[in-house]
Amino acid sequence: MTRYIIRRLLSAIPLVLGIATIVFFAVNLAPGDPTLYFLSPGMTQDVIEQMRINFGLDQPVHVRYLRWLGAMLTGDFGHSISHSRPVLEVLVDFLPNTLILSACALFVAFLFGIIIGTIQAVRQYSIMDSAMSVVLLFFYSMPSFWLALMLILTLSLFARNVWDLPIWFPASGIVSVDYDFLTFGEKVRDRVMHLVLPTLSLALVLTAGIARYMRGSMLEVIRQDYVRTAKAKGLSEAVVVFKHALRNALIPVITLVGLYIPVLFSGTIFIETIFAWPGMGRTIYDAIFIRDYPLVMAGTFFFASMVVVANLIADVLYAVIDPRIRYE
Amino acid sequence: MKELFKKGLIGLGAVLGLSSCGGSDAGIGSNDPFCQQVIPAVETFMAEAREAHPIPDEPRYGGTVVLGTIGDMPDGLNSAVSSNYTDAQHQQFVGLMTLINYDAGGEPRAYLAEDWEVAPDGRAVTFHIRQDVRWHDGEQTDAHDVAFTYEAVTDPLTAFPNAAFWDHYVKGPDGVEVVDDFTIRILLEPHADFMDPFRTLGILPEHLLGDVPRDQLKLHPYGTQCPVGNGPFVFAQHVPQDRWVFEANPAFPEALGGRPFLDRYVYRVIPEQTTLLTELLIENIDVYIAPRPDQAQQIIDNQNLELLNFSGRSYVFVGWNARKPQLADPRVRRAITIGTNRAEIVEAILQGYGQVANTGVPPFHWAYDPGSMPSLAYDPDGARALLEEAGWQDRDGDGVRESEDGTRLSLSIKYNTGNQQRQDIAEIMQQQLSAVGVEVQPQVVEWGTLLQQINTPDLRDFDGVVMGWVVEFKLDDIDLFHSERINQPYAWSGTDNGDIDRLLEELSITADRTEAMALWREYQELLIEEQPYTYFYFPDRLEGVNRRVKGVEMDARGEWLNIKDWYLDPASR
Repeated sequence: MTRYIIRRLLSAIPLVLGIATIVFFAVNLAPGDPTLYFLSPGMTQDVIEQMRINFGLDQPVHVRYLRWLGAMLTGDFGHSISHSRPVLEVLVDFLPNTLILSACALFVAFLFGIIIGTIQAVRQYSIMDSAMSVVLLFFYSMPSFWLALMLILTLSLFARNVWDLPIWFPASGIVSVDYDFLTFGEKVRDRVMHLVLPTLSLALVLTAGIARYMRGSMLEVIRQDYVRTAKAKGLSEAVVVFKHALRNALIPVITLVGLYIPVLFSGTIFIETIFAWPGMGRTIYDAIFIRDYPLVMAGTFFFASMVVVANLIADVLYAVIDPRIRYE
Repeated sequence: MKELFKKGLIGLGAVLGLSSCGGSDAGIGSNDPFCQQVIPAVETFMAEAREAHPIPDEPRYGGTVVLGTIGDMPDGLNSAVSSNYTDAQHQQFVGLMTLINYDAGGEPRAYLAEDWEVAPDGRAVTFHIRQDVRWHDGEQTDAHDVAFTYEAVTDPLTAFPNAAFWDHYVKGPDGVEVVDDFTIRILLEPHADFMDPFRTLGILPEHLLGDVPRDQLKLHPYGTQCPVGNGPFVFAQHVPQDRWVFEANPAFPEALGGRPFLDRYVYRVIPEQTTLLTELLIENIDVYIAPRPDQAQQIIDNQNLELLNFSGRSYVFVGWNARKPQLADPRVRRAITIGTNRAEIVEAILQGYGQVANTGVPPFHWAYDPGSMPSLAYDPDGARALLEEAGWQDRDGDGVRESEDGTRLSLSIKYNTGNQQRQDIAEIMQQQLSAVGVEVQPQVVEWGTLLQQINTPDLRDFDGVVMGWVVEFKLDDIDLFHSERINQPYAWSGTDNGDIDRLLEELSITADRTEAMALWREYQELLIEEQPYTYFYFPDRLEGVNRRVKGVEMDARGEWLNIKDWYLDPASR
């Protein structure tokens, strides 16, 4: 197993480097450069040239590429032009926020997806099954940014101003402005309250897909002979489903983790913007607009690495859940 | 499976727990050596200052105001390198001090400079600096700081963005003379509105930035990680893309009003305007900077909120590339302008919050006098007549006019991605101009690409472009229309008109306003004749403010204008 993991990680190196190289040239060959964003009246070409030199953009693309590559291999990701700070510091600020959000969304999506899918399979063709299918399809066909706006409209605006509910959620940010003055318990509550809407926006869409997979996979499993045997032994339905069937039904669903992580990362771009969540997706998106080359490069590099790692985790989980699978 | 869930829950708990103990609330830059040195000094001085200046026993003192806006401040308080509007506002009114500021009538009044004299020949201005202003780390603010700032921003290595400010000043160390610790003389050539740069230029601390190589100023941590100012508010925290926190400066000079009423002022970054509006409506933020016109009604309808509106400093226009054969004739450009029903567009797009523009002189400016100008009102018949006169006729009956040599009067109008107002303008023009035989193709382009296409002197890949422009109180169109600048980035129209050149030059050096007024009139009439742009509108600046915040004044000078005088209704805290 360890050897397998190491081999996978090693083979990921050229992949990630390849991605980074493509991104480097794509971003650098796109029209425009960062000086355009700092341009203002009265600025002559000399000043613009000076800015380019100050940013290190006066070199040809291939020289910049080699420099970037050399620096990156020694762990130096350069200086972000739009943040005026080392790129690594910017990443350290933003990455954890994205990871928290993605992890929560993934957890919620799988938790609900698995539960709902199981219920649907066990009660196949019941009213509950159909009702759940309709609701899930409703969320599945909804773009997550629109869902996000609707959640804000209902769970923050209407909940507070129209329906006068005792609980309503903040529409933006990670913490309240008075966070520093809260007690520990209040801080945790404040964090959770801020997580609810963005997590739901990301998770609901995924939940629908996962539930469909789970339903299908569970239906297949509960028709197996060993499940019938378990039932015939007189075991209760709960024990049959959760102890005997679930573990096997989960195998195909777990591989979805690896598939959904890239989907999540691209989803965070919109969700982070709508909920003013200071995360990596929004930061890279802004950086692309400003042609903040060092930041775009580093961000893409990290996302690519994380996707590779996520796929690896999915494969490992596979082996954990299914004892028949052994990696050599 | 149970184990799996348990592990998952523990994992989630760990993530949440971890994040609630550390990370983003620590403030940034704490590991930068510059900041590590600077932050304790500020904390020490502020602790002393709080002892020395206890909060007056008055109900207006106290509380936090939260303000929301769509963007972060890219350069923060680093006035030597910033070109962003919100940055400038915070340099002028929040964290730093400028030598002077303007009163409601646009006349200079004392701020960091308590007094000043202009040499009789207009070639020098001498500022007397207040002696009671300290940097937030306790150092005295004096003439050396002013000299340092002036030298830094006039040094080409710094790449100070508003270089046009210093066109008529003696740049570098030769242009500035420290007479004594609190007196400084700056040398210049006589010209119009010469005090204006000192209204916007936040003075920087020499003792912290004096040794920084000028070409490194842009990337220096001072601006956004640990700025040390001398203004009414002290920098406390910046979480990039999320928030800035400022605290009241207890040591702010009594003569200028002393400590601000608010304890804290929080600037929040919320990029999505729907979210911003929601946060204002659910009272999570107190001020929403610049809501969209279509959001105004919801603010008006809420009894806890107030909608402020004032004439801003920007205008929106379609710039014509006169280098293109279809657009070379001013008559064609004029026909396009009068063939477009701009009054209707302003009503539709801005819901009435704005005024039709005919030139680039905005309503807040003393030279604004649209009544005396030739009219450019909607006149499709006039437009058709002008086009006929210029030789453009529909020769093949396809509804689009052609010139004698067969060039079709077909134009693309570019605008940037994600800007609904500009898209609306391009699309309405397409529809209205087809009625006079001009074909318009709206074309959306990503912002960076668009800037490159229109700003690169040897590219200029556009016919028309919908753009916005922000003016200073000192109006100056030289970058836009003077033929000498035709190969500089902003010469979008490619205007080459000797009369316009002459007037622009005269305007920039005519200090007397009565004399200048006549020149402005002549200049604007020429613009109307020449039509390098189809000017569209001066949008009103809208602001949503919670009524619990009292004493808020906002006008063309800016939203943060009197933030030190804002206070919270004591009952609402």
